[in-house]
Amino acid sequence: MKHETLKKSVRTTAFIAASIAALAVPAYADGDQPDISIVINQSPWLDSFISVVDRYEEETGNKIELDVTPFGGLLEKIRNSVRADVGTYDIVNVNALWLTEIYAGGFLSPLTDIRDGYTLAEGVLDYGATTHWNHETNSFDTSADLMGIPLNGNVQVLYYRSDLYEEAGLSAPTTWDELAANAAALHEPPSTYGFVPRAARNAVVYNFTPYLYSQGGSVFEDPASGNFNVTINSPEALTALETYLHLTSEVAPENPGAIAQGELIQLLATGKAAQAIAVIGAWGNLENPDKSAVVGLINAALIPSGPGGSASAAGHWVGGIPNNISDERQEAAMAFLDWFVSQDVQIGYVEAGGVPIRGDLAETSIGSDDRFRFIEAYGQNAANAVMALPLKEGAQVSDALALRLNQAVIGEISATDALNAMAADTLKILTDAGYEVTSLSDL
Amino acid sequence: MSNSIGMKSGNSQSGKRNTEKANRQWLWISIAPAVIFLAALTIFPIFNLIGLSVHAVEWEGGKAVYDYVGMRNFKDLFAQDPVFWVGVKNTIVFAVCAVTFQMLLGFSMALAVSRAGQVGRGILTTIFLLPIVLPPIVIGAMWRLLMGRDFGALNGIVTSLGFAPVDWLGNPSLALASVIFVDVWHWTPFVFLLILAGLESLDQEVFEAAKLDVKGFWQELKFITLPLMMPTIIITMVLRIILSFKVFDEIYLLTSGGPGTATEVVNFTIYRVFFGQDRVGAGSAMSIVTLVGLVLLITFSQVIMRRFRKGASV
Repeated sequence: MKHETLKKSVRTTAFIAASIAALAVPAYADGDQPDISIVINQSPWLDSFISVVDRYEEETGNKIELDVTPFGGLLEKIRNSVRADVGTYDIVNVNALWLTEIYAGGFLSPLTDIRDGYTLAEGVLDYGATTHWNHETNSFDTSADLMGIPLNGNVQVLYYRSDLYEEAGLSAPTTWDELAANAAALHEPPSTYGFVPRAARNAVVYNFTPYLYSQGGSVFEDPASGNFNVTINSPEALTALETYLHLTSEVAPENPGAIAQGELIQLLATGKAAQAIAVIGAWGNLENPDKSAVVGLINAALIPSGPGGSASAAGHWVGGIPNNISDERQEAAMAFLDWFVSQDVQIGYVEAGGVPIRGDLAETSIGSDDRFRFIEAYGQNAANAVMALPLKEGAQVSDALALRLNQAVIGEISATDALNAMAADTLKILTDAGYEVTSLSDL
Repeated sequence: MSNSIGMKSGNSQSGKRNTEKANRQWLWISIAPAVIFLAALTIFPIFNLIGLSVHAVEWEGGKAVYDYVGMRNFKDLFAQDPVFWVGVKNTIVFAVCAVTFQMLLGFSMALAVSRAGQVGRGILTTIFLLPIVLPPIVIGAMWRLLMGRDFGALNGIVTSLGFAPVDWLGNPSLALASVIFVDVWHWTPFVFLLILAGLESLDQEVFEAAKLDVKGFWQELKFITLPLMMPTIIITMVLRIILSFKVFDEIYLLTSGGPGTATEVVNFTIYRVFFGQDRVGAGSAMSIVTLVGLVLLITFSQVIMRRFRKGASV
């Protein structure tokens, strides 16, 4: 009896010990890397990312767990993980809006610290240097540390209805005046709006950025060199805002100040919008017969130019590797990111409905495929993408600018008053934060 | 004899003291878990908030750096934050309008149900309670779709009657009223439920006795029902005012504070500053000011209730 009990006890102890050992050893599944987890946003392009992850697991045997989170709660999850002693996630998918906060906070490992001498492969876009961060000047800088790899290149492009253009004998506009003229020719409310802006308070800064930069304006003088003198109330910015307000008041729906991304895509998908500047991430939905009435009738083009050329606003996502995970997990995360950027994988990503992060896909097989006719325009706009607020106080400045821009759109204040107020608010935010900066005289 | 009585009396007093002491100890031991629980979950976060409100928190090298700034966050709030004060004004307008309509509608609905037959009562109660069981996210999405300018069902009705579509959520003059409407739709059942419970607990003998003196429904309402229901009405109203000051989800889902500052409310400003801008110190200062405002409101309402009860008992 005693002997039986002893045997049972030994068996139990051995089982517990084996279980503990199994838990203690990092899980490598069938591949050569430990399992990793990625926190990523719920989005129209999520399925394409999942298909790429499935392919990676199949090819390498390594395992990836995705924590899919709505946009509204993603930043909090990222903050909680990167600020903890030991991080939950091995790759954090950071939206362009949050990059400065995450970079400046020192939460991510420069990729060269994980792999010596690692650089972005040729053809991979850096979206206005936003993959690099200069800790001295606190700004994006291509010559500084490489902090992450883009995971989705969601920049803005000009969408237009190719069928309506053909009927009216129009061609894709290259200037803002041409865009306004096309819009006027197609504007037949309420069945068709000539142009639809995305001017709701929480979206207007992003939507206004191409106008501002194409006119030669900017929010700050020269951020790359650390010069954050406020220039938002320049004559160029006034021209940009007047152009924007002309479109929003003359050839747009009557409620431009309430149109956010959802409403904009809805107007495009239902065929009510003849033209719009919107994120390329919407393309998949617009070409999906279950979700769109304009399949095959939409095309994409370079955003119109002004004296400063053409500009697009960066709204992409960057995958970064946190400091607070083990070296093995960092290396495993790096292995996935390095695999992800290859041209072959990116072609598969586009075919699955994703937005690529390379600018050289127009020359590949998908460049001549009509299903992906956005590729050339995407590459051109992505190459022109700018980050209007490349500093860690970006979210605060963005809120200040958004309020005044939205007030101008809904007619509460004039363009001049809006820009002067934006300059004053921005100057105060920067001065309070310790910057030694100036601003232009009031318009 | 007297000594022994005295000793007995002394012993019994000392025994009584010991029992009282033991009772007190037991009292403290029994409420200690609740006190600790309350302190951990309620009081500590408030003290933490106060601590954060006098700091600016920055993150450097992956570590938080707390910079003591004294009352600067409060000074900035009172001197230079127009959005917060617009939010305060909108929140007050929101609370006053929404609660007024909810009280009137909720009371009327409760009266109707309390006078309905058994079958009617069941049907009406089910219909009236429907909005309160829906999750806020569903309510926000549903009303955003219904109130959409181009594709909303409300404008479908409006245009079918030959009128121009109404920009319910995008017109600065209408947006706050639209959000108040949704809040009234959402929370009136809460008022209805409390008032109905109050009505059903009233002593029917009072109504029987009063039949000799009051004539008709309105007199009964004015002289019997309303005075008897006043404590329930006040408690319900105070609860609704407090909850109205906490409005967030409807604003977040329907308008995000816009257009302009038309629907900006205090809680949305705090959310934007605290989480969006990651300015923990400034967000904490806003939270403290809001908290103090709410405490004053609750204290004021308690004073009114106490006075009312005093008046009622006299």
